[in-house]
Amino acid sequence: VKPHETYLLDRCNREGSQRLEVYRAHGGYGALEKVLKQGFTPAQVIQLVKDSGLRGRGGAGFSTGLKWSFMPDPEKDPRARYLAVNADESEPGTCKDRVLMEKDPHGLVEGILIACYAMRIETAYVYVRGEYRLPYRRVEEAIEEARAAGLVGKQILGSAFSCEIRMHKGAGAYICGEETGLMESLEGKRGQPRPKPPFPAGFGLWGQPTTVNNVETLQNVPFIVERGPQWFAAIGTPKSAGNILVGISGHVERPGVYEVPLGTSAREILEDLAGGVWKRRKLKAWIPGGSSTGFLPASLIDVKLDHDSLREAGSMLGTASMIVLDETACTVRAMETIARFYDHESCGQCSQCREGTQWLHQIFARLERGQGRAEDIDLLTSLANGMAPGKTICALSDAAAIPTHSIVRHFRAELEQHVRERRCPLAAPEASPRRAVLGAHA
Amino acid sequence: MTRITIDGRAVEADPKKPLIHACHQHAAHVPMYCYHPGLTPVGSCRICQVEVKQGEMPARVVVACRTPVAEGMVVDTEAPKAHEARRQCLEFLLKNHPLDCPICDKAGECDLQDYAFLENQGQGRSVEPRRKLEKRKSLGEVIVLDEERCILCSRCVRFFEEVTKKPQLTVAGMGARSVIATFADRPLEGNYQGNIADVCPVGALTLKKFRFQARVWNLKKTPSTCGECSRGCAITVEVLRKGEVKRLRPRYEPAVNQWWMCDHGRFSFERFNAEDRLQGAVAYGPRGAEAIDVEQALDAAAGLLRVHGPPAVYVSPWLTVEEGERARALAERVGAPPRFVAPPPSPLKDDLLHTGDPCPNRRGLVELGFSAVSAAEALEGLRSAACALLIGERIVELVGEDALRSLPAALRLVVLDTTVPAASASSLSIGVPNAVERTGTWVNVDGHRGLLGAARPAPSGVAPLVRTLEGLERALAAAEVAR
Repeated sequence: VKPHETYLLDRCNREGSQRLEVYRAHGGYGALEKVLKQGFTPAQVIQLVKDSGLRGRGGAGFSTGLKWSFMPDPEKDPRARYLAVNADESEPGTCKDRVLMEKDPHGLVEGILIACYAMRIETAYVYVRGEYRLPYRRVEEAIEEARAAGLVGKQILGSAFSCEIRMHKGAGAYICGEETGLMESLEGKRGQPRPKPPFPAGFGLWGQPTTVNNVETLQNVPFIVERGPQWFAAIGTPKSAGNILVGISGHVERPGVYEVPLGTSAREILEDLAGGVWKRRKLKAWIPGGSSTGFLPASLIDVKLDHDSLREAGSMLGTASMIVLDETACTVRAMETIARFYDHESCGQCSQCREGTQWLHQIFARLERGQGRAEDIDLLTSLANGMAPGKTICALSDAAAIPTHSIVRHFRAELEQHVRERRCPLAAPEASPRRAVLGAHA
Repeated sequence: MTRITIDGRAVEADPKKPLIHACHQHAAHVPMYCYHPGLTPVGSCRICQVEVKQGEMPARVVVACRTPVAEGMVVDTEAPKAHEARRQCLEFLLKNHPLDCPICDKAGECDLQDYAFLENQGQGRSVEPRRKLEKRKSLGEVIVLDEERCILCSRCVRFFEEVTKKPQLTVAGMGARSVIATFADRPLEGNYQGNIADVCPVGALTLKKFRFQARVWNLKKTPSTCGECSRGCAITVEVLRKGEVKRLRPRYEPAVNQWWMCDHGRFSFERFNAEDRLQGAVAYGPRGAEAIDVEQALDAAAGLLRVHGPPAVYVSPWLTVEEGERARALAERVGAPPRFVAPPPSPLKDDLLHTGDPCPNRRGLVELGFSAVSAAEALEGLRSAACALLIGERIVELVGEDALRSLPAALRLVVLDTTVPAASASSLSIGVPNAVERTGTWVNVDGHRGLLGAARPAPSGVAPLVRTLEGLERALAAAEVAR
């Protein structure tokens, strides 16, 4: 990996980084001050973010500035409006927002405040996944510290801008990380996605205009404001700007969260940052961006981690959370685990997803136990085609279909071997060692 | 109106309704499970996928129930991609479906069965064990839930949320483990539970009173009007071979009841199956009851009315407008004020359908000049009369059979009702058809004219009431001439 600035994680790695005084000592809340005191209009802030080329870090990679600009003009639409911060981080393999919330909660608070200013929002909700107890507490403490310092609440820094930030704890459902499922859950309802349209910008939380942004996305915003959109746009690739946090896990020497410019190759991340495949073994398969992005073979390890390169490779950047499988791993077994996850997490509204995720799970479970039939392999493809793309209310069905397609496309021989030998040809996997993921940047 | 093209035909569509509505209106077959025209579309079953092309955008496959119509939209319901998407969706829906159609009450009118047949989907590709769930879960007095048959369309959930405005059902659990449930397994409440068996597209929610009662294709269906209150909900009377009424179901009528009816009305069919029907006529003499010929009975009645008259006349509020006209003419001829006996208001009155007024044709009769009296007032009138004429279905029940028996023995009472009153309650009884055996008009509380359909023939020897009344008038005229 070429030497590069790791602006996000640098702040996390400071002693006492979660505290306001440390954050401020290193220029924290400077961006907010700049916005409020140098007379930036909300439209100018949105333009800044648009110009920077920042794309959402939650998985879909939509232009953040564009999303913000969808919020209706408050002059014409005087309804209450909300920001919902997606801190549900539920995609398997993903643990980047956790690091940011634990180590740099003020970065998030500042990002929220600038976003709210830009969209003229006075209330933001942070929806934190239930298991994230420490991150929840850190963000909660940061909000209280900021409030005491006049940074949250009424007339922030003496300006006319007021903003309240509230915390909400999820109850552990994957589907509540889907933006409309998250809003239903925030409203106290059963967490199931809403059909779109209407889109959140017109009909969001409690039917009011709402924007949902991921934690890492918002953490980038103060840097863009402070250093300018050109600085940000110069990092990464023309269409995927900025640094991204890559969580790498599985069979690697040094699993953890690393920060690289978008467009860094997967090989560089695996070999230079994560220390390569563990135990000097060979790479068999890897997942580029969380379980829903599917498996890629070792031959594609030189693919660059950015939105377009991965799309060309038939996958997605997703949450840029790499999962690495060494040569001893069974991809069918790994896929069974993924299929079980989506079977468990489907909300059950849409027929294809409710029945399809279960069906896929059942087939992969049979294959792994040596009860597969030759026709099951084509059946998998056929079922995945019935589930996606775009056939259901949300993308959970796609999230189960994409890895299914990938396993048939890239590891068909292994599936066939399971059928032929009527057993899993590989030994039971070794357990991955438990290691701290915090601040593991090299 | 919005101009769109459906399957090559230029049509006009209501811009306030989703695309699926326009498709159905213009005879394009688009299946639906979660969509119901009376409920908010949620777009969750995904079976109504059609291909839509708008302007320069490439054609997309969308769910028709959540797609608004737009000017110039071109819809292809049979586009290969859309058709394939629906077929795939159907396969998923059938994956865990128990396929117990041979013992399912819904078979024959099941949307899932119909579409599977239409698509010729006779063979499943799944070898996985089917979901095992509760097969007969009681949801209270009215409904049984078969969780295995349920396709989780959530129509029943939305029915309570949106129509009765008292949510009682929910989807509990997630994914393939989802089931329909009430809070803490409480039984369902209220007067509208039966509707969820109608909205259920499959055999998951069935009526306890219809379970294993009939195969639906053996039912003869006749449009009619419910007679349990002055709302007069549009219904279908469903009769099995021998004429047994098996079900009353609401029939869509935008001006009255939309798609719904109350349980009180729905289960009122049982009285039509009561077996003590009066066929022909009965005279009560010193030797007890004696079956007589109707013509003979009419002459005898005319004789009684002439000798002991003028009579008091009371009719039933179940009389149709047509019957009311004849009854009024008869009352005028014998010089009696036209009156109908109104039962006391029902406590079932609600904001949805039930009006609390048990008289289905109060408005029609009042418009004809009838005035309402209570049973007590009617009895008072009968007590002071030498002879009386009681006309119409349920009139004995309204005045009270015991009360009739307590009247002075000298009172000559001529009764035209469906049942045989006990001895001494009348002098002469002539049978009449009940509400499922005659045609006619009821005017509901808002002035809507609801039509009755004859779902089955009246018992032998029972003539339409209009004819009986005409016969009585003729007999009276003849008696007057003879005098």
